[in-house]
Amino acid sequence: MAQFFLQTAWLIPCYPLLGAILAIPWSPGIIRRTGPRPSGYINAVMSFIAFLHGLLALTATWNQPAQELLIPWLHVVDLDLTIPVELSAVTIGATMVITGINLLAQVFAIGYMEMDWGWARFYSLLAMFEAGMCGLALCNSLFFSYIILEILTLGTYLLIGLWFNQSLVVTGARDAFLTKRVGDLFLLMGVIALYPLSGTWNFSELAEWASTANIDPKVAALLGLALIAGPMGKCAQFPLHLWLDEAMEGPVPSTILRNSVVVSTGAWVLIKIQPIIALSPFAVSATLFIGVVTALGGTMVAIAQIDIKRTLSYLVSAYMGFVFIAVGTGQTQTALLLMLTYAVAMALLVMSVGAVVWNSITQDVTKLGGLWSKRPASGLSYIVGAAGLVAVPPLGSFWALVQLGDHLSTNHPWLFGVLLVVNTLATFSLTRVFGLVFGGKPKQMSERSPEIHWPMALPMLILMGFTLHVPLLLLQWQLLPNWSTLNTTVAGLLAASSAIGCGLSSYIYLNDNWAKPVQFGSQGLQDFFAYDFYTQKLYRLTIVFVVDLVSKTISWTDRYIIDGIVNLVGMITVFSGQGLKYNVSGQTQFYALTILLGVALLGILLSWPLISHMSLIIGG
Amino acid sequence: MQLQLQYFLLLAAALFCIGIYGLITSRNAVRVLMSIELMLNAVNLNLMGFSNFIDPQGIKGQVFTVFVITVAAAEAAVGLAIVLSIYRNRDTVDMEQFNLLKW
Repeated sequence: MAQFFLQTAWLIPCYPLLGAILAIPWSPGIIRRTGPRPSGYINAVMSFIAFLHGLLALTATWNQPAQELLIPWLHVVDLDLTIPVELSAVTIGATMVITGINLLAQVFAIGYMEMDWGWARFYSLLAMFEAGMCGLALCNSLFFSYIILEILTLGTYLLIGLWFNQSLVVTGARDAFLTKRVGDLFLLMGVIALYPLSGTWNFSELAEWASTANIDPKVAALLGLALIAGPMGKCAQFPLHLWLDEAMEGPVPSTILRNSVVVSTGAWVLIKIQPIIALSPFAVSATLFIGVVTALGGTMVAIAQIDIKRTLSYLVSAYMGFVFIAVGTGQTQTALLLMLTYAVAMALLVMSVGAVVWNSITQDVTKLGGLWSKRPASGLSYIVGAAGLVAVPPLGSFWALVQLGDHLSTNHPWLFGVLLVVNTLATFSLTRVFGLVFGGKPKQMSERSPEIHWPMALPMLILMGFTLHVPLLLLQWQLLPNWSTLNTTVAGLLAASSAIGCGLSSYIYLNDNWAKPVQFGSQGLQDFFAYDFYTQKLYRLTIVFVVDLVSKTISWTDRYIIDGIVNLVGMITVFSGQGLKYNVSGQTQFYALTILLGVALLGILLSWPLISHMSLIIGG
Repeated sequence: MQLQLQYFLLLAAALFCIGIYGLITSRNAVRVLMSIELMLNAVNLNLMGFSNFIDPQGIKGQVFTVFVITVAAAEAAVGLAIVLSIYRNRDTVDMEQFNLLKW
């Protein structure tokens, strides 16, 4: 029976896709009388079915070798585009994380989107994301992964642009689409360049090919860079990270998904193509460099944010930077583990933050405060999420970071230093937000702030429970190192870095005697981080400026030179007609002259040989 | 001096050119017809010259000349009729007043 569910695991993406279609009739323009709620309920049920299916399939594939299903798609000449579906514990587990977090986010959205009429569009898009992500997890082909990534890019555009009557939403959706699209297009170059080299797009065959491949280092470097560029845009890595900041204009439930799982889609592909990146030392260093810069930059920018959602979005970039570091150092298993623990914790954090925003209205952390006594559930969820994200010993990410740190400390000590610094800064940032939102005295905006109602509290608390159970599950699955083999130095340093970050931040932000708003160094430096290294200006001055200039030049050339030439031909004929008509003078004698001239010319022409002969005689 | 064909032809050509000059520059419609007659006579001179010097046996040129004279007479008659009918409407035979059918 379980085997049956495993063999039909390709249905997992189909349930949410069905939900996406079924949600549409409750658009306000179609079913006008009942309101939009059924679309939400249908999708929650569909997610639940997909989750159950995954659970049943997981029992069949647990501790079993991976199986592969082949779904024929297209076969032209010598190109065989068959969709390979990999059925292994990892892929089915990934679909369960995706459907599980989706289910919780959709239930959360039932509460959060209470006062909104756009459920059909919203749930339809959420379900499309869920389907796309499950498809990505199951699909074992770089080509089809690329297709799904592109569909999800479109989905991001539509989902961020849900409330499109807000101007910032429109610009945010635009930037998210274009930035991710640029990365995707580079990825497409890589995908296409890979085929003549390897002859396959199947991930497992690619890994085999890469183990023995012997290609020109320059080709390998370019290929690796192109393949990194896709995940770089998807995972909001520097310098393609601005979109995630602007994507925070969208509704919170979609933010839950975006921050926890959607950005992981890029990381998932990155992990799968790790063997190809490993072919080129240059691409590996580029991966590490991007990861390090993003991790450091993201956490520092996060500390300087006052928008509560943006404090988290930069941490998303930073943690995806960790995944880049892990992939760069060849630790794909650690990267997968980190993605699991990170996704759960980040989803919990965003839910908690969303719960605060929902009835405190403002997202400005400097206008919030003193919620701890009034909002225990949200506060506890925040603490658990934060602890699950940074290296706090019993919780999930600690183990992933220890694994990462263990490897780094022996092979790349300076990267381990980066890991420690980023962990400190991330803890500092999370504690700062906690201190500002839940600690201190109530401010005007948070004076009366009731705890949220059940549809938002329930998924939040379930996820909190799950975050707390992650280490137990990992222990059960024997993914955790034994206490005996645990590198206590690394673990101790990580835990200490968290403690330092937390302690320092608590001292500053939970201390009423420390003047708020806090001043670090000069105002210029603070603004530098608060405005995200002025990335927006940077884009405007470089890429946007150049493309704008080039397109304006081309448009001008087209309008005035290309069109002008063609119009000139028309103008010449019109004006020559206008001018030449005066030959018809109305004077009969002029006509007679014309006729005579014509005849004379014709005569000269016809008798030219004779005339030239005569002149020869005369001249001679 | 022996008369040669070229002299006849040159005279005819000169006459023809005078006719053309008259045809194009005259303002009086009747003078235009007169110029046409001059050109036709130049042609006749040509025909006669060729007939005498090249075809003295067949003298087909002379036959042509007879035809040209008769046709020219008829044409001049019709031309004058047209000039008269224009004159009736416009009270003038000035060619520069007959420029109504332009562009």
